[in-house]
Amino acid sequence: MAFKDVNARRHIGLQQLSSLASTGRTFLGPVKSHKFVVDEITNQSSLICSAVRLIESLDLTSAAGQLLNETIQAQNKEFNTGMSTLLFLVGAWSNAVVECLQQNIPVPAIVSMMSEGLNSCCERIQCLQIPIPDVKRELCSSRVRPKAFGSKTGQVGRDGLTNPWNLLCFQRDISATEEVIPINSCSHQGEDCNFNECLVSPSAGFGSVASVVKAVGDKSPSVLSGSGVTASSCITRKLTHSRHFSTPRKSCFPSQQGSFQGHPSGPSADLCGCCGLGHLATALSHGNQTSLKLVQSIAAHQQERAECRDSSQMDIAEIVTCCVLGLPESYSCVSPGFVTLVSPEQATVIKHLAGKTLRVLLMDGDLTEQYRHLGFNRPRNVRTILEHPSPQGGRAGDTWLSRMSDILMSFEVNLVLVKGNVCENFMGRCIASRILVIGRVARDVLRAFGAATGAQAVTYLSQLNASCVGNGAWAELWKAGDGRAVDLGELVPARISAGGIALLTAVLTTALPSKAQLLQDQFWTLLHRLHHALKDGKVFPGGGAVELLCLSHIQALAEQPGPPGNGEAVRKLPSPWAAEYKSIVLQALASGWKQYLSVLLCNTARASSELEAGASVDQHLQKAAACGSASAYILEEFRRGGVLRSGSDPVPDQVTDLKVCDNVGAKTEAWRRALDLVLLVLQTDAEIITGPRRSQILNSPVSSEFMFL
Amino acid sequence: MSRLEAKKPPLFISEPLARDAVSQSLSVLSGILKSSYGPAGRLKQLHNGVGGCVCTTSQSSALLGHLSVSQPVLRVLTASVRNHVSRFSDCGLFTAILCCGFIENFRSLNVAPFTVIKISRHLLSLCLDHLKSEACGCRVSVDFSSVETLACLVRSILTSKPACMLNKTEVDHLTSLVLRAFIFTVPCHVETNAVLGKCVIIPVKGSRVMDSAVFPGLLIETPEIQLGKPLAVKRTGSNMIRIALFSVSMSGDGFNPEEGTVAVHHGISLEVSELNQLLSVGKQLVKDEVGLVVCQKVMHPSLKQYLKENSVLAVDRAGLSVMEPLGRMTGSQSIASIHSLSPGCYGTLKDLCIQSFASKHFLHLIPEDTVFCSLILCNRSETAWDELKRVCETAEHVLQLTVKEPLALLGGGCTETHLASYIRYKSSSLPASTFKDLDCSQTQYQLVAEGFCRSLESVARSLSHDGEEILTDMVYGHSWFVPSGSPCVSKWSDLVSKCGCGVNDNTEDLSWRFLQGQSGSPVIQGCPKELSPKVADLLTLDCFAAKCSGLQVALETANLILDLSYIIEDQN
Repeated sequence: MAFKDVNARRHIGLQQLSSLASTGRTFLGPVKSHKFVVDEITNQSSLICSAVRLIESLDLTSAAGQLLNETIQAQNKEFNTGMSTLLFLVGAWSNAVVECLQQNIPVPAIVSMMSEGLNSCCERIQCLQIPIPDVKRELCSSRVRPKAFGSKTGQVGRDGLTNPWNLLCFQRDISATEEVIPINSCSHQGEDCNFNECLVSPSAGFGSVASVVKAVGDKSPSVLSGSGVTASSCITRKLTHSRHFSTPRKSCFPSQQGSFQGHPSGPSADLCGCCGLGHLATALSHGNQTSLKLVQSIAAHQQERAECRDSSQMDIAEIVTCCVLGLPESYSCVSPGFVTLVSPEQATVIKHLAGKTLRVLLMDGDLTEQYRHLGFNRPRNVRTILEHPSPQGGRAGDTWLSRMSDILMSFEVNLVLVKGNVCENFMGRCIASRILVIGRVARDVLRAFGAATGAQAVTYLSQLNASCVGNGAWAELWKAGDGRAVDLGELVPARISAGGIALLTAVLTTALPSKAQLLQDQFWTLLHRLHHALKDGKVFPGGGAVELLCLSHIQALAEQPGPPGNGEAVRKLPSPWAAEYKSIVLQALASGWKQYLSVLLCNTARASSELEAGASVDQHLQKAAACGSASAYILEEFRRGGVLRSGSDPVPDQVTDLKVCDNVGAKTEAWRRALDLVLLVLQTDAEIITGPRRSQILNSPVSSEFMFL
Repeated sequence: MSRLEAKKPPLFISEPLARDAVSQSLSVLSGILKSSYGPAGRLKQLHNGVGGCVCTTSQSSALLGHLSVSQPVLRVLTASVRNHVSRFSDCGLFTAILCCGFIENFRSLNVAPFTVIKISRHLLSLCLDHLKSEACGCRVSVDFSSVETLACLVRSILTSKPACMLNKTEVDHLTSLVLRAFIFTVPCHVETNAVLGKCVIIPVKGSRVMDSAVFPGLLIETPEIQLGKPLAVKRTGSNMIRIALFSVSMSGDGFNPEEGTVAVHHGISLEVSELNQLLSVGKQLVKDEVGLVVCQKVMHPSLKQYLKENSVLAVDRAGLSVMEPLGRMTGSQSIASIHSLSPGCYGTLKDLCIQSFASKHFLHLIPEDTVFCSLILCNRSETAWDELKRVCETAEHVLQLTVKEPLALLGGGCTETHLASYIRYKSSSLPASTFKDLDCSQTQYQLVAEGFCRSLESVARSLSHDGEEILTDMVYGHSWFVPSGSPCVSKWSDLVSKCGCGVNDNTEDLSWRFLQGQSGSPVIQGCPKELSPKVADLLTLDCFAAKCSGLQVALETANLILDLSYIIEDQN
């Protein structure tokens, strides 16, 4: 066992946290720069755009790194959103706490004052919460100021075409500086030109050239080289639907108008009319159009079903995704039932089964001869004696195959959904007898089919009896929105459904295989945001409103005489120290949010430097203080089109679809988790390596840092 | 050809304590333990260095459990501390630090170990007699008719481990939950032999601490349960639910003998015959009107299907931890064989329902009258949850110990400094006959007594981690903390606000002085006064039984180690 002192001079654990967190700065806000993570040994690379994927691909053998990973995963598991915020604040607060340590503030004082400061802020911001029933009114209320922008229209129109997706930043090996390579330049495009998807050949080698191919629209030129546009020119562009800083615009992406059944820009009238979820989803989408359309469509479907029930919740267990590669992103849509990729052989079976009502069987294990339920221990000491070898008895496997297919035939099953793997030979037999067998089906899908068809999942085919088989399913090949069947590669998308099934599949289409994971992540994030917003029953105004109120609240707290709260450590401190420490520690807490807002302003090109951004935040704080009630000021600014607008920004005349909201629970939990992690590492003074690795440590260059028992 | 190797002779190490390697290891260990002590203690990250999970803790059981110690002297120490912790749960760090202090202080004395041991035993008996006497000024009696003292006790334990990452509201919430859980385990109708029940802790990691809850009865996690559907359970004539409890695996692989080989003829399947046996058990259960079958291990899917078709609820993989409480709660005997079912082994339940927490679903088993409860324990991170679980178990155990002996000791270092000042006073006023009985001189006695007191005070001093100065008062002998870097002031009362345990404040002049450093000369003082502490809201209290045992274990272990003259190491 070895023992290592963490607190040599500066706190090593906090330094590790801060350097790990600094890699995720660019994921903050609606404009996320993508990163390439390259494995130097295998040369494999992956495109990532979220804190979770970043942490997954980093080497985290240090104790602090492990704890950070654990924290991010826990937030991801519960909320599926807020991880970038968490990662950023871990870094910002680690730095701030190290500065407190350097000013000789005792650790217990930092711990108790910071955690009570955060508590106090979380209570203060409750007044900003918007209950879900009020969201629509809140989002639609606009202060109309006619003719706000004239000369800027051209600029704005151009900006409207800038989808965050079109900015691909490639970063080699994380630590290298980022290089921004826009894959198309919008500067020459007129407002009405039709933009289709950008097709980047996946084999082109992103790191080196990024030769960029833009699909040919109606009038636009076809090929642009990425090197033609400088990084700065694309950074100064502004975003639409930014969670944080919105710019007014006149039109939505023209290409998306076509592909989404002619929805006008923003949520369609029927969507927000029937359920009000349209607005909420838009506000939570933070500018991500593709996912927004899918989630709105899911909301509409579920709302329709909910007419008979009385819940306004979203059921996430009834949603699955299916990625179809080779189609442009505009083909993404929501299909009722279960869409999955099948082999051409299975596709021919589906064609045969077209129009038929299928008898369905659900299996919750593997469909192989060797499979036994979990917890079954195979006997090792059983020997079989064959006394009279019969010449005609074929291989043992064949008898199993024919027995199983006999069972399927006798119950007239046409469709088998299997949770695990399916034996290939058996699959072949089933295809020959026109039974559709699909393997690797998620548990939720089985459950949905069980509920819709009355089928009951079995583990072994030998368990089968008439009551286990469901009825009323059907299968067909999945068709894209324009009605054409998709036959792009080896696998074919098929749709399996049943009468009254609650299951919905979000079919995510993309031409870029490397983006498939990104699209799925973004879709799930938005879905979970909407789910949690409905569960919480309230949302926060977005765009930095909450953080700004926290900043102004902490200013007030720091000026207040007396220690904050009555924590154990603070109670025992005589007042003169408490007051001095309090202002330093609370400023440290505030610096996290201030950096957060500054980096947002920079990432969204609202400020050219962090210094400028910081000044702008200070200006808003002063305005809020001058107003008397900070929360009233912030709510007013939010209603006018967003907080943290700079003075030169025009007040938008149509703000309905520009306002953004954040989740209540996810946000405050992300703060708390980030602070907990920093304080946990702060209070750690030693690392103890357990286990018998003594000689390894003794031989390592850092052996002098260890002590042995 | 086999080769015989001559046995190596064992290695003799004489005077192990005099060796550098031993004393160095001892000081590292004592450094680790001292820096972890108390609510401001620093945490340790325990991990294997190659990406295994990280345990962040300041708890003796976790620390000593993970340390692999190679020095025999340290092994003696850690083993006796772990033994103490296994019996009392609390005061592990206290015991270990005190033991290290005794070794350190007694070793430097120029007194024969034999004499030191005799004198220190006498000092220990003085301490224990004082602690057990009514006049003791550092103990409070626990009043079970009100919740306040108990809440102080639980709160002190919860706040003593910072790795739980609790804020004040969360501490309050958990304090009340732990107390409620404890009260559930106390039987309502006490006959001659009252037996406390048990609180089963159920993990829900990743949620807010405030989502934690306590339920009477037991919760069993059932991932497969269908929500939304009402639970249809078969009931017996008296409207109760009959329950069968299996500790044997029902997965259908029971034909696996321990050794030897089974030969079967082709065409005979052991699996099928085993399944048929299981199904006949199922038939018997249905016939006996059993409504709920709980299996500790795995159940064969066919058996589950059969039971379900006959509207019997089947739960498998219940795990070992619920078996004993489940058996006691329902009055059933767990069935260890699928070949014999006697009707006498079934138990009964009043009701069943489903509870959901975060994404987990549980079957809630509600008995008629119970001394068992389930504490759903939530914390945000894995490492903080593990620490919180250990802390809650300690608190539960301490409450049980307190029922037996309704006393508590003042925490925050006050008991230690109080005892030290009592011993100083007492040892200066002993009759000469005592020294004669102990076969020692008065000077020797005074030297050992001083070492004893310093060891006690070093425990109180270990509570300071940020350079705070420690004072003690001459009236009650409590300990007081002054933040580091304090300016010189004329009155101590400007610097101190409350003593460590929270009983005294700075309103009256208590004539403070610095707690002695290593070189200071002892001050003759009077007997520390007794005070009747009124139980305030935020009093820090320690478990009486655990601390008394810790004191004894620390001294006995230190004496054993001091008495070591050889270590004999087998080198083969």
